[in-house]
Amino acid sequence: MTPVLHGISILTDSPTVVSARAGALEFLLANHALDCPVCDKAGECELQDMVHKYGPHKGRHTEKKFKFHEKDYALSPVIIKNSNRCVQCIKCARVCREVVGVNVLAAIGRGDHQEETSFFKTQLDCDHCGNCIEVCPVGCFMRLPYRYKARPWDLKGADTVCAYCATGCRMVMEHRDGTVLRARAQYGVGVNSETLCARGRFGFDYINSPERLTTPHVNRYGKLEAATWVEAFDYIKESLMGVSGDEFGGIVSPRYTNEEAYLFQKLVRDVFKSANVDSTSRWEASGVEAFAAAAGMNEGGVSVFDCMEADTVVVIGAQISDENPVTDYIIRRISAARKMNVIIVSPRAMKLDSSANLLLRVAPGAEGAVLNAVALSLVPDKTGGYAQTADIAKDMIDALVAKLKASASVAIIAGTEFLRHPESCAGLGFLKDSLKSSGKKVLILPALDRCNQRGVWEMGAHPGFGPGYAGVEKRGKGTHEMLEAAMDGGITSMYAAGVDIVSMFPDAQFAQKALMRLKFLIVQDTFMTETAKMAHVVLPGATFAEKEGFYTNQEGRAQIIRSLLPPPGKAKRDFDVIKAVGEIFDTGFGPKNPALALDEMRKTNPMYRDASLAFNNKRNVDNKLDIKAALVKAADAAPPSVKCAPAAIAPKDDKYQFALMTGNHLFHSGMLSKRSVSLTGLLNSAVVEICPEDAVFYGLKPGAKVIVKGAHYEAVMTLTVRPGSKRGVAFIAENYQDCPVNRFFKKGAGTPQVAIRPCS
Amino acid sequence: MEDGKKGLDIFGLIKSVLFTDFVKGLVITLGYNVSRSITLRYPDTEKWIPYRRWRGMHTLNKDANGRELCVACELCSRACPTQCITVIPMEDATGRGIADRVAKVWKVDLVRCLFCGFCEDACPTTAVRLGREYELACHDLSCTVKEREGLLKPQPVPESFEGGVVVGARFVRTPGGISVVADLSKSRKRAL
Ligand code: SF4
Ligand code: SF4
Ligand code: SF4
Ligand code: SF4
Ligand code: SF4
Repeated sequence: MTPVLHGISILTDSPTVVSARAGALEFLLANHALDCPVCDKAGECELQDMVHKYGPHKGRHTEKKFKFHEKDYALSPVIIKNSNRCVQCIKCARVCREVVGVNVLAAIGRGDHQEETSFFKTQLDCDHCGNCIEVCPVGCFMRLPYRYKARPWDLKGADTVCAYCATGCRMVMEHRDGTVLRARAQYGVGVNSETLCARGRFGFDYINSPERLTTPHVNRYGKLEAATWVEAFDYIKESLMGVSGDEFGGIVSPRYTNEEAYLFQKLVRDVFKSANVDSTSRWEASGVEAFAAAAGMNEGGVSVFDCMEADTVVVIGAQISDENPVTDYIIRRISAARKMNVIIVSPRAMKLDSSANLLLRVAPGAEGAVLNAVALSLVPDKTGGYAQTADIAKDMIDALVAKLKASASVAIIAGTEFLRHPESCAGLGFLKDSLKSSGKKVLILPALDRCNQRGVWEMGAHPGFGPGYAGVEKRGKGTHEMLEAAMDGGITSMYAAGVDIVSMFPDAQFAQKALMRLKFLIVQDTFMTETAKMAHVVLPGATFAEKEGFYTNQEGRAQIIRSLLPPPGKAKRDFDVIKAVGEIFDTGFGPKNPALALDEMRKTNPMYRDASLAFNNKRNVDNKLDIKAALVKAADAAPPSVKCAPAAIAPKDDKYQFALMTGNHLFHSGMLSKRSVSLTGLLNSAVVEICPEDAVFYGLKPGAKVIVKGAHYEAVMTLTVRPGSKRGVAFIAENYQDCPVNRFFKKGAGTPQVAIRPCS
Repeated sequence: MEDGKKGLDIFGLIKSVLFTDFVKGLVITLGYNVSRSITLRYPDTEKWIPYRRWRGMHTLNKDANGRELCVACELCSRACPTQCITVIPMEDATGRGIADRVAKVWKVDLVRCLFCGFCEDACPTTAVRLGREYELACHDLSCTVKEREGLLKPQPVPESFEGGVVVGARFVRTPGGISVVADLSKSRKRAL
């Protein structure tokens, strides 16, 4: 290696350089298949471009080319491999090990017989993230769903943001003649650079699903029938005329854009004069306030890269490797280089554990207790807080405290478990305050699992606060209270925009009964969901690839999405639908388009006044991924402080050995991803996950069918084990249509207990 | 010129009196009347078969084993200056083509085609050739787009036939349309 010195002259196109470069390329082509006409990479292949620009256009090797195999072979349901094109750069194996952390690819063999593949070339049991495809400079790793569908020049693309989790990965979606064919990330653009997870890279195909709603439906004589927009709006008009105030409730999806969420809460608050607006059916509104306050979301955006600068990073209550895979990559990549403390507090084992230097396995919902104990031992004059955390060994807490004490800055990544167990939020707030009072820099990054969850809260789609966490005159009802009120007739009409309450509310039976009592239910969605089937009017909306607007990711980064296609059939963009519903009752209802909504938002919401939307699609000049200008600013107001009482703890019943946890599966997000053929191909039927010790103890076989029995529901699913998880914890993701996990839940009963026994 | 204008044009006068130009014309006409005809009796009994280098309607070709040569690489459609070729690939490992990549759709819009032959040059497998079919007129636009299935059919004039000759032909009118069927066994050089 030659060090660069002052005055050194570097020649890049002297005759020697030119011929050496051409020679190197000639060697790369010595065994290269050169089957560009069949290869999916042709047209955007780095080798092709290099040879075209610098290469010898005639090779001198006359020997027969070495071939690894005759036919391409599938490495996973989404990856197909052709090693004959390999240039042995090992980028694929390195991204898999160093960034994704799965480490299932390796270079097998030596010299030009070296093949980067899975051991025994068998199907991979990996994250199916496809990052190996993205980094491969040639056509060795290829997307199976995109195989032989188009050439890169056939594709029309739009810069957008992944609409699954709130990591907010930037990507380009591309379509050919109206069929979306691929999503790809770009090197150096967005927090994710060129990485994505399986959902982002392969989960877009629901956009072209034939099951999409393409026309409004109205309920005629107990049956949903296709109708025109005029008929649907007439029906809404005549049914909702005179309904206003507390009888009406609206819930908007955390996958809607900020403009849509802003308009929706205006519709509920200004047109229907109701305070009942919420943005999720999964957790209680008071928990959201507690979480937002504890995490200091009103204080503005927190960049994940700033968090990575801290001396200690604590990941707590977040199943980060499954719910926010790219955040997991960022932590792995940076912690490998910086070697800061990574502490993980979670009941389930996760991929990121290998990057952590302290692991605490706690019972579901015990995060708050841990944080309390830690905070108490940080404050010098208060000690002995351990009593409440009988579950966790004292030396673990001590180790955590020691690491925190030794750090000047601490970043806490707090996930959705805090929303499922809002009583934990107090512990989070307490720890933040104690760390601050001992002079440390503290950053809290909320890890959320819906792309615009943070945005819709900040747009005021919440019963307890308005846009920018501004106080509201009268506190409204959240989803939980709305359904309760629907039960006893307090609420007669509801508008569910993009939310599938029946599938997601933690007590499916209750939700169904409550919705049944409604006099009028409007559902706006892209598919005929379980909730839509109960509706009086179903309005077809658009997916994220069909609208313009912007999302705010978990860090508070405002990012524009661009529309790629028009919505199918008679479906409309959700902004237009909400506006049209508003105009039925108030012709002046507006803002009339997303651009005006953004203007209004900028004027009224201090968080968004200066948040830049401009540079998001461009590569940063200094190649840093962090665009600080896009972070939202501090709000004028703070979310109201609420105290969340711990949920009732069901008396331990010996019949049930496991505490049930839920969350998103790595391959799925909510119920939406079940419409994606690629993602259901990765995982279709329900699995229940426990730790291997429990499996041995109870005589359960991984891969076998088991019966999971709770107090209210039982279902048959496949058992999987995850080494390193806490004993006595079972995990069922919230994404299975065949066994909705929310049926195990009973409202107000806390963490459900289940028994697992072999299927006889 | 000056002189000519001023003086009397004796020769011109004699020429016009004797109808010389008229007779000259008549001689040419009468000469053709008795010479051998070079008119093709097309389409009723004769038809011109162009040389192999002719650029007529596209053909899609197969290899000796009957496998399609086209691997749906889309280079022809990329090279085409009028963008009149549409190729949509698909996977088919049953041996339909020389690779597992074959064309699901391969069509060309002849109304837009310039017959420039760029597609032919771009094709890495010599799958697409501009053939010798030139009778492309039809009654409505629907017949101007030629699809893969039709283009893969064997050509009426085989590649081995040299061309550049006039052959016997028959004009056929069927409910399906009109055509001129060549009889390659009877051929003659075109008289020029
Ligand atoms: S898809 Fe992802 S996890 Fe699987 S081999 Fe490729 S990089 Fe590794
Ligand atoms: S990234 Fe592609 S070219 Fe490089 S070693 Fe892997 S398979 Fe081969
Ligand atoms: S699901 Fe989350 S981590 Fe995966 S690509 Fe989408 S935004 Fe990124
Ligand atoms: S001959 Fe020229 S214009 Fe016609 S299809 Fe081929 S490339 Fe296009
Ligand atoms: S005809 Fe030739 S150039 Fe055109 S798609 Fe087929 S193989 Fe490619």
